[in-house]
Amino acid sequence: MAFVSIRDLRKSYGETETLHGLNLAFDEGEFVVIVGPSGCGKSTLLRMIAGLESVTAGEIAIGGEVVNDYDPADRGCAMVFQNYALYPHMTVAQNIGYPLKLAKVPRAEREQRVRAAAEVLGLTDYLDRRPKQLSGGQRQRVAMGRAIVRQPGLFLFDEPLSNLDAKMRVQMRIEIRRLHRRLKATSVLVTHDQVEAMTMADRLVVMNGGRIEQIGSPSEIYARPASTFVAGFLGAPAMNLIPARSDEGGAIRPDVAPGTALPSSLPLPPGKPFILGVRPEDLSVLPSDRPGLAARIDLIEDLGGMRVAHCQIPEGYASAVLTRDDMVREGMPVSLRPDPERMHAFSAQTGKRFSHERAATGSMKEEAGLFMQSA
Amino acid sequence: MMTDAAKLSPMRTRRAPALASWDTAVGHALMIFVSLLCVFPIYWMIVTSLRPSNAIFSTNLWPDAASLDNYAYALQAVPMTRMLTNTFLVSLAVTLVQLLTGILAGYAFARWRFRGSAILFGAIALTWLVPLQVVMIPNYLLVARLGMIDTLGALILPHIASAFAIMLLAQSMRSFPTEVVEAARMDGATHWEILWQVIVPNLRGTIASLAILIFITTWNEYFWPLLLTRSTENSVVQIGLQMFISSEGTQWGPLMAASTMASLPILLIYLLLQRQVIASFMKSGLR
Repeated sequence: MAFVSIRDLRKSYGETETLHGLNLAFDEGEFVVIVGPSGCGKSTLLRMIAGLESVTAGEIAIGGEVVNDYDPADRGCAMVFQNYALYPHMTVAQNIGYPLKLAKVPRAEREQRVRAAAEVLGLTDYLDRRPKQLSGGQRQRVAMGRAIVRQPGLFLFDEPLSNLDAKMRVQMRIEIRRLHRRLKATSVLVTHDQVEAMTMADRLVVMNGGRIEQIGSPSEIYARPASTFVAGFLGAPAMNLIPARSDEGGAIRPDVAPGTALPSSLPLPPGKPFILGVRPEDLSVLPSDRPGLAARIDLIEDLGGMRVAHCQIPEGYASAVLTRDDMVREGMPVSLRPDPERMHAFSAQTGKRFSHERAATGSMKEEAGLFMQSA
Repeated sequence: MMTDAAKLSPMRTRRAPALASWDTAVGHALMIFVSLLCVFPIYWMIVTSLRPSNAIFSTNLWPDAASLDNYAYALQAVPMTRMLTNTFLVSLAVTLVQLLTGILAGYAFARWRFRGSAILFGAIALTWLVPLQVVMIPNYLLVARLGMIDTLGALILPHIASAFAIMLLAQSMRSFPTEVVEAARMDGATHWEILWQVIVPNLRGTIASLAILIFITTWNEYFWPLLLTRSTENSVVQIGLQMFISSEGTQWGPLMAASTMASLPILLIYLLLQRQVIASFMKSGLR
C-alpha cells in the first residue's frame, strides 16, 4: 500500500479553484519531487499534506490514515521551509531541540538527540550560535536538523534551496540526497528548478495550472514527456517544439518550411497537424547544403562542457547542442536535422503526447500518460 | 577616487562640500536651539526649586543661594514618598496588565480569522478616539457602584486594556514571519506556546517601547486620579503637586521641588533607556 495517497484533492479560495482534483500516491522511502512553474499549486499541495492549508475536497492519507482533519503536528511529518523559518531568539541547539521540548522529551534524551542530529548535519560547532550568526547553508542545515530530530515518517521540503547561492545549492542538493539515503524517510520536495527536480527525484511529479501533468522517474519523463508543457519545462535547453505535418511518404514537413521533408520513424497518419518535439541534443547542425531545416545560427552559448547553438528558423528559434566537431560560428547558415529515431509528437490541439503504438494504427489517440491522473 | 562626473565639473565638486557643511551647521544650530527650548523649562523647574522663597521670581540663570529647603518643606507638607510609591505601583500595574491584554488580543487579531474580526478591530480602534472626558462619568459611576472610590484599584481598572496597545501589538504580530509560526505549529506548539515562546520573545523591542510609553502616560495622569482620590494616602504624585496651588496663592518653591521629585523617575527612565524611549515615541507617531 502507498505510504502517502492523495485522492481527488481539491483546493479553492472562495470561488477560485487552485487544485483541480489531484490523485497521487507514493511509497515509503521514496524521494518525490513536485516541480512546476510558480503558481501551479505545488506549494499549496505540500502545505495541504503538512496540514497548514485546509482541504476543500478529497482526501490525504499518510500511513494508511486519512489526516484531513489532523493538526500539522499530529501528521507525523516535518517541514523545511524556504526561508528556513528558524526561531531567531533561540540558539541552534534550542532550535533543533524545540520540537522535543514541546513533546516533553526529558532533557538528557533531548540533548543527546540534538547532538546526534547536529553530528549528522555537521553543526556540532555551531550549537551555541543564533541563526543570524550563521550562513544560508548553515541555517538550512539547522532547519533540517529541526526536522530530523523528531524522526518523522515524512519529510516535506518547500523550495529549500531557492534562497542559497548557486554553489551552495548544488552542495545542499547532494547533502539532502545523502541524508535521505541515510534516514530512508519518505520525502516530498517542492521546487520550480528543473535541474533540482531531475537530480533529486526518485519520482517526479510535474504540475501545471493546478493539475498533475505527469508522474514518473526523471529519466522516464525526460524520455517520454506526456505533453508539450512537460517537454518544454524539463530539460535545459528546452525541447524544440515545431508545428508540423506528416506526408504520404512518412516524412515530416514543418509548417514553417513545407518544402522540407525530415525523415522520421514516427508512424503518423499523413496530413494531420501535430507538434514535433526534438531535444536539442537530438538535433544535428549540418552544413547548409545538406538536407534539413534551413536555419541561421543566431547565438552560440559556450557552457564549458557543451556548446548550444540558438538557430533562427523561418518562424522562431530552435536550439541544438553542438558536438566538438561542429565547426560553426554565429551568423552561419546551417541545416538542422532531427534524429529520426528520437522524435516526439504531440497533439496540436491539446498538447498531449501521441503514443507511437496507437498512432501507428492510424487512430492518433493521445497517450494516457504513464501514471497519468484521472482528471 | 574621482568619478568621471567629478572630473567634468570641478566647480561643483569644490563647492558641494562647502554647501553641505553650511547646511549641516544651520541644521545643527536649529536643533540646538529647539533642544534648549525643550530643556529650559526642566532646567528652570530645578533652579526654581533651589531658590529661597524671597528670590523665587529672580531671573538669574543660576540660583544665588541654592538650598534644599523647598524639598524638605514639600516632603513634610504632603506625604510625598507615599504618593510616589502609589504612583509607581499604579503605573507598574497598568503597564503589566495593559501589556498582557494587548498581547492576548493582538495575537487573536493577528493570527485568527473569525467572523466579524475586522469590525471588532475597527471598533477597538475607534475607542482610541473617544476622549477621557466622555467616559469619565460612566466610569466614575461604575467605580462608585463597585465601592472603589478612593482606592488604587480604581486608578488601574479603567486602564486594563487600551486600543493603542492592542493595535500596536496586533500590527507587529501581523508582520512577524508566518513561516516561523507555521514551523512552530509543525513542531507541535499550541497557540499559547507559539505566543509566549516564539512570538513574544521576538517582539521584545516593541513590548519594551510600549511598556515605557504606558508607564509614562500613567505616571503623568492627573484628571482621573483627581476625580477618584479623597485621601492623601491613596493619592498619586500629580495630585500632590496640585496641593501647592491654592486660592491663597501658589507655593512656587515647594511646587517646583515636588515637581522635580515627581519627574525624577521619568527622567531616570529617559537616561537609562533613551534609545528605547525615542523608539517608542517614533512608533506611536508622537514626538
